[in-house]
Amino acid sequence: MARANRPVSRRQAWWLLAGALAAFLPLTQQVPLWLALAAGAAFAWRAALTWRQWHLPPKWLLVLLVIAGTVGVFMQYRSIIGRTPGIALLVVFLALKLLELRAARDAIVTALLCYFLVLGQFLFTQTIPTALLSCVTVLITTATMLAASDDRPAPQMQLRRAALMLAQAMPFMLLLFVLFPRVQGPLWGLPQDRYTATSGISETMSPGSIAQLSQSDAIAFRVDFKGKVPPQSQLYWRGPVMPAFDGRTWSIRQTLGAYPDVPYPVSGPAIEYDLTLEPNGKFWLFSLEMPGNLPPDSALTSDYQPISRQIVRNRTRYAQRAFPETNAGINESRAMLRDALALPSGGNPRTRALGAEWRIRHGEDDAAILVTAQDFFNRQLLIYTLNPPLLGPDLIDEFLFDSKRGFCEHFAAAFVYALRAAGVPARVVAGYQGGEVNPVDGYLVVRQYDAHAWTEAWIAGRGWVRIDPTAISAPSRINTNLAAAVPSGEELPFLARTDLTWIRDLRYRLDAVTNGWNQWVLGYNPQKQRDFLAGLGLGEPDWRSMTAALAVLCGVVLLGLTAWTLRNRRRVDPAFAAWRRFTGRLAAHGVVWHSWEGPHAFAERAAAGIPTHASDIREIAAQYARLRYAPLPEDGDLERLRERIAGFRP
Amino acid sequence: MRLPELDAVLADINRIILGKERPIRLALACLLARGHLLIEDLPGVGKTTLAHVLAKVLGLEFQRIQFTSDMLPADILGVSIFDRGSGSFHFHPGPIFTQVVLADEINRATPKAQSALLEAMEERQVTAEGKTRPLPEPFFVIATQNPAHQIGTFPLPESQLDRFLLKIELGYPDPAAERELLAGADRQKMVAELAARVTPQRLVELQQAVREIHASPALIDYVQALAAHTRTAPRWQAGLSPRACLALLAVARAWAMLDGRNHVLPEDVQAVLPGVIAHRLRPVDDVAHSDPEAVAAALIEAVPLP
Amino acid sequence: MFATLRHRLHESFVRWAVPVRAPEASPIILTQRRVYVLPTLAGLSYGTALIVILLGAMNYNLSLGHALVFLLAGLGVVTILHTFRNMALIAISPGRCEPVFSGGIAQFAVVLENQRADARTSLRVFIGDGDPVEIDIGAQASTIALLPLHAPRRGWMRVPRITIETTWPLGLVRAWSYVVPDLNCLIYPAPAAKAPPLPWSGDTSRGSSRDGRGADDFSGMRDHQPADSPRHVAWKAVARQQDGPLLTKLFSGAAAQQVWLEWNELPESMDTEQRLSILTRWMLDADAAGHAWGLRIPGLRLAPDNGTMQLTTGLRALALYPDGTR
Repeated sequence: MARANRPVSRRQAWWLLAGALAAFLPLTQQVPLWLALAAGAAFAWRAALTWRQWHLPPKWLLVLLVIAGTVGVFMQYRSIIGRTPGIALLVVFLALKLLELRAARDAIVTALLCYFLVLGQFLFTQTIPTALLSCVTVLITTATMLAASDDRPAPQMQLRRAALMLAQAMPFMLLLFVLFPRVQGPLWGLPQDRYTATSGISETMSPGSIAQLSQSDAIAFRVDFKGKVPPQSQLYWRGPVMPAFDGRTWSIRQTLGAYPDVPYPVSGPAIEYDLTLEPNGKFWLFSLEMPGNLPPDSALTSDYQPISRQIVRNRTRYAQRAFPETNAGINESRAMLRDALALPSGGNPRTRALGAEWRIRHGEDDAAILVTAQDFFNRQLLIYTLNPPLLGPDLIDEFLFDSKRGFCEHFAAAFVYALRAAGVPARVVAGYQGGEVNPVDGYLVVRQYDAHAWTEAWIAGRGWVRIDPTAISAPSRINTNLAAAVPSGEELPFLARTDLTWIRDLRYRLDAVTNGWNQWVLGYNPQKQRDFLAGLGLGEPDWRSMTAALAVLCGVVLLGLTAWTLRNRRRVDPAFAAWRRFTGRLAAHGVVWHSWEGPHAFAERAAAGIPTHASDIREIAAQYARLRYAPLPEDGDLERLRERIAGFRP
Repeated sequence: MRLPELDAVLADINRIILGKERPIRLALACLLARGHLLIEDLPGVGKTTLAHVLAKVLGLEFQRIQFTSDMLPADILGVSIFDRGSGSFHFHPGPIFTQVVLADEINRATPKAQSALLEAMEERQVTAEGKTRPLPEPFFVIATQNPAHQIGTFPLPESQLDRFLLKIELGYPDPAAERELLAGADRQKMVAELAARVTPQRLVELQQAVREIHASPALIDYVQALAAHTRTAPRWQAGLSPRACLALLAVARAWAMLDGRNHVLPEDVQAVLPGVIAHRLRPVDDVAHSDPEAVAAALIEAVPLP
Repeated sequence: MFATLRHRLHESFVRWAVPVRAPEASPIILTQRRVYVLPTLAGLSYGTALIVILLGAMNYNLSLGHALVFLLAGLGVVTILHTFRNMALIAISPGRCEPVFSGGIAQFAVVLENQRADARTSLRVFIGDGDPVEIDIGAQASTIALLPLHAPRRGWMRVPRITIETTWPLGLVRAWSYVVPDLNCLIYPAPAAKAPPLPWSGDTSRGSSRDGRGADDFSGMRDHQPADSPRHVAWKAVARQQDGPLLTKLFSGAAAQQVWLEWNELPESMDTEQRLSILTRWMLDADAAGHAWGLRIPGLRLAPDNGTMQLTTGLRALALYPDGTR
């Protein structure tokens, strides 16, 4: 209508600028620097336009700028489709839209762009602070829309009204969030750039790669044990198994078969838990050794690493049972064993000689060699440190005999190398070891700094046997944690330090909140929704029953709000209300009170109409008149009038 | 809290002017509310008698001023005359210096003379020769005006009319009252025989008491609602002024007092409404002079009691 | 093409929505049944944007994206209620409408009363396709909207259908309602641009009496001017007022001051409207000059008088000719 064509007022322009800033600022980290600067310049230009009341830039210039911005984004990303380029384009449009505010209509477009940018922000991060920040953005943007409609109220009034409206929208949000039938994405192919930034254990292990991870306190996964949390020394979270070695780097087998179900017979007591895995951008799932079942949509590689059928892009929760006493791989294939014996030709002569010597000493007794190897590691007095010296080409030799300082990957690599040199099949297992129980919610939290590498050796009749060479030299790493194991003074991630108890307490709390947030808000996927609704008693929830429940509950909320809408808060004098009851009763007898009629005048008319109750009518009218019009009515007058009227039966 | 002296006053007047209880009561209420009264009626229906009787029973001095076209302000207010003996000016007060003034046929005088009276009436004092002289207390003007628009008259402008608290009509007596009048004793003689029922001091006290009659918030809401209606509804030419609302409340208070109540009821407001709006409110379609009672009834029925 | 279709759809909707042709009894309360709500263009874009956001949130499995879109959807529902609430239960009653001359702009006053304890904001009131008047109504207060409408013909003009609408607070939905209050404006005939001079009747047009000054009746006094006849000096007043200025007595010639405005004196060739127009002009001229004037038109005779009331009565009679004055 005509209103949408009204020019944007100064106040509205300020509001729009505020809304745009609120939407843009959280994204400054995500867009290229040139774009952030250009957008900042556009905002400053807008501010100057408003402040000085200059003319808006000509249309051709804006068109030119849009083209330039689009080309710039394309040059940057070689694409204008996808997450980051999309956001960058939105920023371009928002910044230039601000320079084109001609009519109130443009204000709506700007506000909608701001909402889009809020969504864009969620592509990068969905933490609680982000959520709070976007609440502020939505509040300001909504206030901007209010101002676009009516710019007269003061800013705090606009914000207050926006807050009121958003508060009223909350029940709908909650209902829709819980009950809106969820669909598991993606609906269409995701552009590749979606998972670039995840860190974690990789396909390969070379000296320093795990030590590097130990500098990160990012969470790898959380575990909710059904029973008691097992002791730290049992918490080996199995990840990629790396049998291949090229002299420096261990890596996973590139092609290998996978079992659709657990191939080995399990034995011993089970440990039950739910694991909530953070996205890792790989196919990897982690599970406590040895898994007794597989999560849905997953398989077990032939070297017993659980893998997902899809890349783990979202936080995933799965239930697991572990059987620590299981002996897996008793009937291991020859090919696997051959792989577990392969060594690159040449290099590390001292270790090779050592292995050969063990073999000669113990003959065919692999188990004895294993014991000897452990004994050897123990006697070497190896030092567990985050800062091992750089090693040359014969890195195993240098570690075992010269520097004697290393992190877990050195230990594991050296141990496997030595065993293979002795002819015992062995391999490196990467994963996480330990974790930390959050006393607030009881979850065990496993962070990147819990990354670890250990070894497995194959002994005939026993299958694969786990040996953690780190545990031999630094038992505290396994029994307690990283901080206890490394020499004091070495730099640890802040959260791995144990000396600041209050910080740790605070961290526990924060982490519990984050976990709750992850579990219930971010992890609310179709599966969780079904489980939750089934738990609420909505048996076998499907989209129909969800939609029905949604409709009913939204209807109830709507009804409540509508009642508020139509409530005409007009205070009726209680005496007058009583009088209306009285006149209503008389109306039933044919004497209708006119709304303009004074009480006494009406009483006379009514008394004439119903002579049998004349005195009652007159007295009630007098009482009422006294209440409404006389000075200082006495306490209890109202009650007396009410009683009188209640007892009045003409 | 009935006031017997006021009942007696009313009874006395009603004995002489027959069949006019309501206008008489309104006139007395007007006086008690410290206002002035405008009577628009034909000659000979008893306007002069009413003024006379009122003054008499209330124990007040009475003067009648017949307005004519050649009247000057000095004829009403008084003149200063040079006294050769003393060599100074002496102020000779005009007929207005009395407690009850009957300004007869006020619309015969020129606007200049009219405004002299009206200003004195409003201010309750006379300024002449640079000196201000207060008028006596109580002070009550009853002005009469001929209804027909006669040539050579100066109808009071509407702004001046507002200075009268009430405007009433006496009208012809009903046949029974008229018969009694014709058959009864000589009115002049009856008036002369009347005795004062109250003293002027008491009257001033009563005027004070009127102001203290309670008007509850609900009642004030009602007066406001009436005024608001006249200001917005399409059937009125111009809404009631705040002064008119004050007048309405003042007369309603006096009316309540005459009823022996210490508070005002909507019925009081409704009873005095015709007199208050007769010279203040005109319906849009009022071509001839509408009956104020009918106009007031229309207003009352349009505004519900709050 | 599209515009005409839209217009016709709108008209049939209005016929359905406001079935009564006759004016409604006041006060007209905008009950929920007569308030209509539809999204505006901005509202439709908002809805589209929400769908896009929802698809994005689904595709990327963004839980917070879902939360955002659900919050905004809730906001959309809430804004419907707020917009509706802004309109619902307003009491509308007709206000005063000052008469205007034909060809002028009549200002219809509509009183909008808000009995609620909080204000109503940014309501637009308009007649037909006219320019909207934007008003607010305070808490438990009322506001008068003056709606201009061109007055083409003399006589009573009834206010056509009035639309009240609002898009407050977010501009996403529009709530509107139609009312036909009982509101009429009296349209006087347009005064003729060119009219013969006032028709003084022959026997009164003597000498200088055009200015209404005569010698018959005393009408007042004014300060003496040297040209005044000594016979007219108010000697009595001079004597009373001591050293006051000389005053001249003025006499009004009643007959001379009075002019009859006659329908029949206008040429036969003139049609009714022309006559009324000229009579209107005369009436205004006579009133401006302060003359008493009388009016004789078929079916009505107005005795000579002056003043506002006489003028209103006369103009009304002309406006409503030949129906009398009601």
